[in-house]
Amino acid sequence: MMAVSCLTRALRSMTLSQPALLSSQAITQTGLATQGPKMVVQCRGFLTTASLEQNRTFWKQREKYTIKPMGMKKTGGRDHTGRIRTHGIGGGHKQKYRWIDFQRLRYEPNNEAKPFEEKVVEVRYDPCRSADIALLAGGSRKRWIIATENMQAGDIIKTSGVIGRMAVSANEGDAYPLGALPVGTLVNNLEVQPGKGSEYIRAAGTSGILLRKVNGTAIIQLPSKQQVQVLETCIVTVGRVSNIDHNKRIIGKAGRNRWLGIRPSSGLWQRKGGWAGRKIKPLPPMKVYVNLPSISAK
Amino acid sequence: MLLEKTRCLKAAAQLSSQTVLLKELSRLSSHGGARRHFGISRPLAAKVPPPRKPRERVDIPGLEMVTYADRMHFVPGLTKPVGPRWERDYKDPRYYESPPAHEMPLFKETPCYVFNQRTSALEGVRQALWLTKTKLIPHLPPQLLSLTENPANQIPDQDERVQNAIKHARFWDTTQERPGKEKYSNTLLLNLLHLCATLQSSHPAIGRRIFSEKYSLAATWKRGEDVFQIRGQNGLLHNCMDPLPEVSGKQEVADTADHVLEALYPVSPTIDLQKVHVYKDEPNCTGFRGDYPYPHAHTLYFLEGADARCKLRPEQFRAKMLMFTFGNALVRAHKAYGTQPRHVLDRPITVQAVGTNGRIFQFMVLQLNTTDLSGDDGIKNQVWLEEDVELYDFAKVRPLIKKKQVKVPAGLTGYKPEVFSKFLALYLHGAV
Repeated sequence: MMAVSCLTRALRSMTLSQPALLSSQAITQTGLATQGPKMVVQCRGFLTTASLEQNRTFWKQREKYTIKPMGMKKTGGRDHTGRIRTHGIGGGHKQKYRWIDFQRLRYEPNNEAKPFEEKVVEVRYDPCRSADIALLAGGSRKRWIIATENMQAGDIIKTSGVIGRMAVSANEGDAYPLGALPVGTLVNNLEVQPGKGSEYIRAAGTSGILLRKVNGTAIIQLPSKQQVQVLETCIVTVGRVSNIDHNKRIIGKAGRNRWLGIRPSSGLWQRKGGWAGRKIKPLPPMKVYVNLPSISAK
Repeated sequence: MLLEKTRCLKAAAQLSSQTVLLKELSRLSSHGGARRHFGISRPLAAKVPPPRKPRERVDIPGLEMVTYADRMHFVPGLTKPVGPRWERDYKDPRYYESPPAHEMPLFKETPCYVFNQRTSALEGVRQALWLTKTKLIPHLPPQLLSLTENPANQIPDQDERVQNAIKHARFWDTTQERPGKEKYSNTLLLNLLHLCATLQSSHPAIGRRIFSEKYSLAATWKRGEDVFQIRGQNGLLHNCMDPLPEVSGKQEVADTADHVLEALYPVSPTIDLQKVHVYKDEPNCTGFRGDYPYPHAHTLYFLEGADARCKLRPEQFRAKMLMFTFGNALVRAHKAYGTQPRHVLDRPITVQAVGTNGRIFQFMVLQLNTTDLSGDDGIKNQVWLEEDVELYDFAKVRPLIKKKQVKVPAGLTGYKPEVFSKFLALYLHGAV
């Protein structure tokens, strides 16, 4: 809807303006108009997309990264119109948001771009996710990351962006590009585009497997057995995500679910359609996140 | 176009039962103006989304923008003319905007790392030791502790009077049920100092001292290529007319040259320090004027609850004590020997510090041997630190009863007399 309105605005300006003189200006205006309302905020780790109207982070106004926990506003499953978009969300204990740095390979502003080490200061519970988080201190900065299985306070963690000729024998918790890891390692916090920040395999106890490396790309199996092909320069961390017994926990009572912010589902018996029931189907085809040059490009 | 839409909707609404919609639409369109609503099956009145940020104006250097300035009216398609920036020709303090950092007169390229009274150093005492080029010795020097073994240096009825002081601070000094932590720690410290001061009749040198509070300290030094500063109001300072005698002899001082400072890798020693680019060169200030009659610092007293905004853990509190003691010593060394770094001071400067949270005490004696802090080798300064000594175990207003058994009785329990002897020893150091 927003795109349509700005497109009509741009087109209107094009018709009213003098076409001969101002065609270049109109083009820049159109370009700016289509880019403006997309809310591309240049700040660390703040992933905002224009099409997602129900954006849960309107309360996050800060641009500079901080490790201090921030107050969070709950949506209750409501979107910007005020109606429920997702049922079953609401209430629950108040939570403070700790800003996690998902882009693991982030160099300090004044340092040169080479592999660096950081020290784990503490590993703690995060109310906003199933995994535990770890406070890392390196150089003159501190940041939160998702902790891996056996991470403890006092460990030294390495982050590297270099792909060598031989595969590195990686320790758990270290972050390397996919091209530098041996095939068969368990990985987590996968980036699909290099430098974008990790978006996959972040939940408690999950891990992906690096299946094979094919010229400049690598194929990883996600926890849902779906296979994904990404560039080999994407950074991943090695090991399983922390809090591995998360799926074995027993809620025990309805009240505990309410503390987690999960509202009861509607008790109305509803006839289930074709979507319900066990389905046995082949794996979906491998998702390719790499723009491979087509054969016809020659 | 909006009016046509309204008319279409009105026609549609007359046929359907969505008359409520058109009222909402007209209300919204009159209020908002430019919002287009193509969908009519969902409500139009909802939470107003946040205002959109205006279009980013791109400034391409060399490209002249065609404005409607000479036409004297708005022309769609031409940009808004931007006039020259207006500056007030007189100075008005109500409308003063400070220039950005790089235009300030005191701006420097090399940053300065400042340790202020609210800094919580991540690595605690280890970081402070590296920054001040100091060697840590775990207990207080024995010659200090032997001061109080002499009965002439003890207060008559010492234990009873100290216990009364603790009871006053913890139980009696309030109209509420119990005094708060900031209040009782402050009262306890003042009571203990008062007790120590009763020895003035037998030790006249105590009369040559004075207390001072809320003085602002500023000390600068270079470590490697980085400039470090300590600034801030630290605590209660006990000033003296005469300097403290040195604690360790020349041989021990020379032996510290073999000690290797502990590296903090991968954490940088500048972590948690405030980084500034605008700073004065060499602002060495003791907090007092040149002709102050009590120039030498004797002891610093730190209270954990003094600053409500800043809660420091014990390790960070000890680091703060160490840094400010060092700052006081360094500033006085700069005043006595000049700001040029000196490899060995002829008379090392000794400053003491006591920190407390009302029950647990930290004692510290720092001896500044060198002001040449740029390299990691050479003679180091020395600090004797005694950490986490408890003056008493419990001071409970109501007894702790578990399963009908009294675990901890009400009142003062577990009083340890040797802690006050250490406190007294630090107080009497230099006056005996």
